[in-house]
Amino acid sequence: MSDIIEEPFFKGSTGRNTRGVLRLTILCLIAAAAIASRLFSVIRFESIIHEFDPWFNFRATKYLVQHGFYDFWDWFDDRTWHPLGRVTGGTLYPGLMVTSGVIYHALRALTIPVDIRNICVLLAPGFSGLTAYATYLFTNEMTTSPSAGLLAAAFMGIAPGYISRSVAGSYDNEAIAIFLLVFTFFLWIKALKVGSVFWGAWCALFYGYMVSAWGGYVFITNLIPLHVFVLVLMGRFSPRVYVAYCTWFAIGTLASMQIPFVGFLPIRSSEHMSALGIFGLLQLVGFVEFVRAGVPSRQFKTLVTGFVVAVVLIAFAALVLLTVSGVIAPWTGRFYSLWDTGYAKIHIPIIASVSEHQPTAWPAYFFDLNLLIWLFPAGVYLCFLKLNDEQVFIVVYSILASYFSGVMVRLMLTLTPIVCVSAAMALSYLLDTYLTIKSPPEPTDAQILDAANNSSSKKAGKQDGIRSTREPLVGIYTTFSKTTVVSAMTAYLLIFVLHCTWVTSNAYSSPSVVLASRMPDGSQHIIDDYREAYQWLRQNTPEDAKIMSWWDYGYQIGGMADRPTLVDNNTWNNTHIATVGKAMSSREEVSYPIMRQHEVDYVLVVFGGLLGYSGDDINKFLWMVRIAEGIWPDEVKERDFFTDRGEYRVDDGATETMKNSLMYKMSYYNYNSLFPAGQAQDRVRGVKLPEVGPTLNTVEEAFTSENWIIRIYKVKDLDNVGRDHASAASFDRGNKKKKTTKKRGPKVLRVE
Amino acid sequence: MRWLLSFLLLGLLSVVHAVSSSGSKLLVVLEELADKTKYSKYLADLESRGFKTTIESPKAEKIALFELGERAYDHVLLLPAKSKGLGPNLTPKLLLDFINAGGNILLTLDSSHPTPSALVSLLLELDIHLPTDRNALVVDHFNFDTLSAAEKHDVVLVPRPDALRPDVKNFFKGAGEDGEIIAFPRGVGQTLGNTSPLLTPILRAPRTAYSYNPKDDVEGVDDPFAVGTQLSLITTLQARNSARFTVIGAAEMLEDAWFDAKVKRSVGLGGVGSGAKQVKTANQAFVKEVTGWTFNEIGVLKVGKIEHYLNEDGVKSNVTNPKIYRVKNDVTYNIELSEYSWDHWVPFTPPTGDVVQLEFSMLSPFHRLPLKVASTTKTSTIYTASFKLPDQHGIFNFKVNYKRPFLSNIEEKNTVTVRHFAHDEWPRSWVISGAWPWIAGIGATVTGWVAFVALWLWSKPVPLKLTTSGKKIQ
Amino acid sequence: MHFLKGLVLILLPAAAIAAKRAAVDKFQQFHSKALSSTPLKLDDSIYGQLTSAPRDYSVAVLLTALESRFGCQLCREFQPEWDLLSKSWTKGDKKGESRLIFGTLDFTDGKNTFQSLGLQTAPVLLLFQPTHGPHAVADSAPVRYDFTNGPQSAEQVHSWVARHLHDRPHPEIHRPINWVRVIAFTTTILGTLTFLSVAGPYLLPIIQNRNLWAGVSLIAILLFTSGHMFNHIRKVPYVAGDGRGGVSYFAGGFSNQYGLETQIVAAMYGLLSFATISLALKIPRIADPRTQQLAVIIWGAVIFVMYSFLLSVFRIKNGGYPFWLPPFS
Repeated sequence: MSDIIEEPFFKGSTGRNTRGVLRLTILCLIAAAAIASRLFSVIRFESIIHEFDPWFNFRATKYLVQHGFYDFWDWFDDRTWHPLGRVTGGTLYPGLMVTSGVIYHALRALTIPVDIRNICVLLAPGFSGLTAYATYLFTNEMTTSPSAGLLAAAFMGIAPGYISRSVAGSYDNEAIAIFLLVFTFFLWIKALKVGSVFWGAWCALFYGYMVSAWGGYVFITNLIPLHVFVLVLMGRFSPRVYVAYCTWFAIGTLASMQIPFVGFLPIRSSEHMSALGIFGLLQLVGFVEFVRAGVPSRQFKTLVTGFVVAVVLIAFAALVLLTVSGVIAPWTGRFYSLWDTGYAKIHIPIIASVSEHQPTAWPAYFFDLNLLIWLFPAGVYLCFLKLNDEQVFIVVYSILASYFSGVMVRLMLTLTPIVCVSAAMALSYLLDTYLTIKSPPEPTDAQILDAANNSSSKKAGKQDGIRSTREPLVGIYTTFSKTTVVSAMTAYLLIFVLHCTWVTSNAYSSPSVVLASRMPDGSQHIIDDYREAYQWLRQNTPEDAKIMSWWDYGYQIGGMADRPTLVDNNTWNNTHIATVGKAMSSREEVSYPIMRQHEVDYVLVVFGGLLGYSGDDINKFLWMVRIAEGIWPDEVKERDFFTDRGEYRVDDGATETMKNSLMYKMSYYNYNSLFPAGQAQDRVRGVKLPEVGPTLNTVEEAFTSENWIIRIYKVKDLDNVGRDHASAASFDRGNKKKKTTKKRGPKVLRVE
Repeated sequence: MRWLLSFLLLGLLSVVHAVSSSGSKLLVVLEELADKTKYSKYLADLESRGFKTTIESPKAEKIALFELGERAYDHVLLLPAKSKGLGPNLTPKLLLDFINAGGNILLTLDSSHPTPSALVSLLLELDIHLPTDRNALVVDHFNFDTLSAAEKHDVVLVPRPDALRPDVKNFFKGAGEDGEIIAFPRGVGQTLGNTSPLLTPILRAPRTAYSYNPKDDVEGVDDPFAVGTQLSLITTLQARNSARFTVIGAAEMLEDAWFDAKVKRSVGLGGVGSGAKQVKTANQAFVKEVTGWTFNEIGVLKVGKIEHYLNEDGVKSNVTNPKIYRVKNDVTYNIELSEYSWDHWVPFTPPTGDVVQLEFSMLSPFHRLPLKVASTTKTSTIYTASFKLPDQHGIFNFKVNYKRPFLSNIEEKNTVTVRHFAHDEWPRSWVISGAWPWIAGIGATVTGWVAFVALWLWSKPVPLKLTTSGKKIQ
Repeated sequence: MHFLKGLVLILLPAAAIAAKRAAVDKFQQFHSKALSSTPLKLDDSIYGQLTSAPRDYSVAVLLTALESRFGCQLCREFQPEWDLLSKSWTKGDKKGESRLIFGTLDFTDGKNTFQSLGLQTAPVLLLFQPTHGPHAVADSAPVRYDFTNGPQSAEQVHSWVARHLHDRPHPEIHRPINWVRVIAFTTTILGTLTFLSVAGPYLLPIIQNRNLWAGVSLIAILLFTSGHMFNHIRKVPYVAGDGRGGVSYFAGGFSNQYGLETQIVAAMYGLLSFATISLALKIPRIADPRTQQLAVIIWGAVIFVMYSFLLSVFRIKNGGYPFWLPPFS
């Protein structure tokens, strides 16, 4: 389409240089904007690591910086998953930590001492700048329009869909993974177009980096083979495809297998089988092409084709067989739940329980990518104009990513880049058409006539071409239409910018460690219970006090309170989590032995009843029950927590099981004392609580934070003189034991 | 003059150097000091063993088990009180706190006047039950003292107790020669709940004894409170913190009168002891042992040095008690145990048929090994065990959990981390014979590639030669 | 008098034996019935004597409401599974070693039982453990299986029953192979193959048609980006009536939606992008200036209005969203 673009007002080599400088400055400005818009959280609150997983990454990074790379590689973490411990070095994606570690040491070498925390906090914004640049390169590969790349970069820089996971402080794998994703795709397209081993190798190396950084690498692992497959089906097989893919696959697979956590998955698990299969297919097709070039006879060709088909079928059958026989691991639960969407809810409650694994409603799309969402299809359509290998890539990517993002909210992240790119292509095409001074001359009727004739005659010829480009291109006549369209578009873009800023500042910039609320007078009030409680733990409990809490808070306790935890957000051991769930959802007498066995010293629960903080443990409680029920179906039953009418209640109507569960007791223990008698109110559930609060025998309250959000209980030791806790507690409350006057039934004799 | 006195005192102190392993401050609670004379010998014994006794009446204001939250005494001896209550300073709660704080209590009952309600409820908390009717006492029509209780049969004569179980140390056998008889005059028998593992009877009633209430004089008691060996005459409870609590059913046992009284046993079942002659009671020695045990003079165990270290193929590493091991390491564990007997520490040896065990456990024991005697010092025995760590990483405990009747509890836990193999601790590929085909394959591929490239580079195409005739020939 | 006593004395053991035999027979007779047709169709009386203590066997009773007027979807879905389970169990255990009887009590036959058990919901699966005999358990109260999470497969129930009846045989479930489905599958496969081979030359241009593919992919994208998967997973209603008898097209709240709503949104997106496409591609190709001018204005207006409508709709979903365009505000 370059032919229709008027060479803009600079001419000659000077023009090129000036344009180059201009581009550079624009890109720098875009990067600056991208970084700046992610700093809301730091300005609003402080330079602090955000919600859950980042705390672990931060802790791991500190470990890396302190102990060096090899200790990090072999790190056995004895302060999580007590008493199992976690082979952390082998079960994480080290890319993020290593990256920030390298940056840290580089700055040291440059004698710029920066605290590792600041590096971690600011890593994501920094990389967002790079992502913008990568998007620029990627888009330039897609279209010849010079402005598309810049637009795409700008979109990528400020699109909320990407900001949501990369604001300052959200130090998570996605922070660098998205940059790697886009850049790997850029390199892939480059390799594909040039057909050179060089670019293929670079692609593979960055793919390896991606694998070391994020579990989402599987997306690339499946997208590139799919792309190649589609190309082969379209009969677009060429040596370029062959070279690019084989280089990428060979080196990339080797690179990915260097990560301990991935290990032999690339040849053992179904997620990676497509890549392997396509590799084999390419060999076959290549062979056939070679033969076809050499051998004249048709029969032989058909023979060869038949042979190929047969081989493919056999290979597929073998794959199925291996999967069934278990040699190749079947799909992991998370991955499987992407296809069979009902799967997780039934089989793996622990996956279904995570909020970011929920499906996406349409407002989320509009919220995250405002007008891009409707420019997106237009861009994809434009790709059909000139359907080269790279455009095919865009189409495939768009469809796949939009499906995945529909199934899982968090995968909106993988959709955002392609949306930005194709939207930018559409928009730039539009602007290129309307932003030209030069107008075609007013045609005479004759011209119109023969134009019509031409078109009619063309209709016969260009059957395959895309429908809307059959007429010859004329251009826009009147300045009025140009100005209207351009100004309208500008208005939309302005709204887009406002939207992005608004979303970023309102939705995506709060570190859920610190909660902000508005006072009646509109001033901001910071609720800092989490850190208060963790600080208390850090300062008032022994170094190795084991803290039991629901897994959501494991990483934070490990990071902020620096205390061993039983379970944390790396949910690798369902049974251990179910154990905690059982302890929380059973009666004290059942829970106590469990807690003793796991050497639990303190139990931490989150309770929002006083403040109306809805994300508390009573609301998560049912998941604990379900997960526990998955392991002990006879001892924990979800049914028992619902009333006969099937309601989940915490007030007088709550079931006995509910009232006796440790979680309920710990949440509401002493809560009545805050209110006048019988007025106890739960502000989350919005119900009135029973007259008398629960009593606790086996644990004692140790700490309750300012707004009662966090409550910490100490597990009592066994009674010194061998009574059970209930009677010991009642004795301490001062009521005497009844003297058993009459022994009913036969006397039980004591034998030594 | 003054200094002379002090010298004398010093001399005295040095004579009475023997003292309990846990302090010597003893509070004797006695209702009226007049009775002090009754127990003179017993108290003299205590003094001579180095106890600094303070005699107080339960009613006294200044009697207090705690001062400023700390134990004021190490041991308490409660002699029977006539009044029903023990006053506000000796409530069951306070007594229980005293035990929880590690203090020892020796409680004596007496059938002549009912046990104070405070003590009853305290005993109930400890799962020790007294007869429901307040002044029941233990009678035995076959083993009574014909001299003092020919009519009432309420002075029960029992031999020295045997060991509770064959594998339990017996501290109450005295010199061990039999024929020694203990007089148990007008005592209150107790029964023990059978849930609590902490309770152990020292002295149990003979088979023919039963608890009888002289108030209701009916012919033959139906459903007595307890009979035979279910009736415990002297009961002990050792709390989890090894604080000791002993109930002596008959306070009279401690009286001088019974220390050197002569008794003559009646004819027992099947005519045993028909030809019994009168003998002196062994009360003094026996009571000394009971008191000594209660006040931590015997049967106290102490853990000395604990060390565990890497012991790969017999080479002892010189870092002891490291925090972290690797799976399948060979390690050695040593623990030093000593036992207190009256006035000094001696090496501890478990009774025959019993062993001290070491557990290496995470959630559940992975190893449970007997600890062998490595060496013996003057005051202690060093036990040891060597083993290979399990092939399971995690946070493990070296645990010695040795709890036996009449021996103070030992529960030692040393936590270590057992990590996985580091990336460079696996055998290298060429060591594994199974890997050789693959290594060979790599070599073959490399050489083949190089050879191919060489061939490709050096096989230059044959140039076309043109003859003069312009005809092409190969 | 004495005679009478004697008589009674004579009769007593006999009666006892008789009672005993009756107890034994009870299982045998039910089991023989079960062999002919299982699960047993119960009514109040049979239910009563089947589950009455003393019993030395286990009973699994499904209390259900099959008639359509009760509208118990779950019951009807579970019934075939239940029959399959009981049939294969009884078939696998002809001698009755597991001493388990399957019964079904429909609400129409067993109103009283439902009332006496105080059941509001159906289906309910009760498992009565034996009160005496080898496998007797302490409490005679039945164990209850609840259908909280959806319809259960026969295997799930089988494992549950097996859990409760340990130390006795658990006959496996034999699902009959659904020949009809197999045949239908093969025939369809073959049919499609033949069809393709025949119609191949005609289909090929259609398959290779770029416009077709463009259309398909655009539709797919529009579907997904308008939250179709959400409807599919959460099974949201198509539309819902607002309180006042009318129809509310847009669900309140940021994270829920109706089926129709998503289609409206998809249509809006489609229109917007179509307008963009025609602005970008079609209009520059219009030879006649006036038509072009007109087209520009029309399409520009369409985009403007649509976008403003989209914004206003979004403001419904997300209160406090500050931006809007005229005319919809």
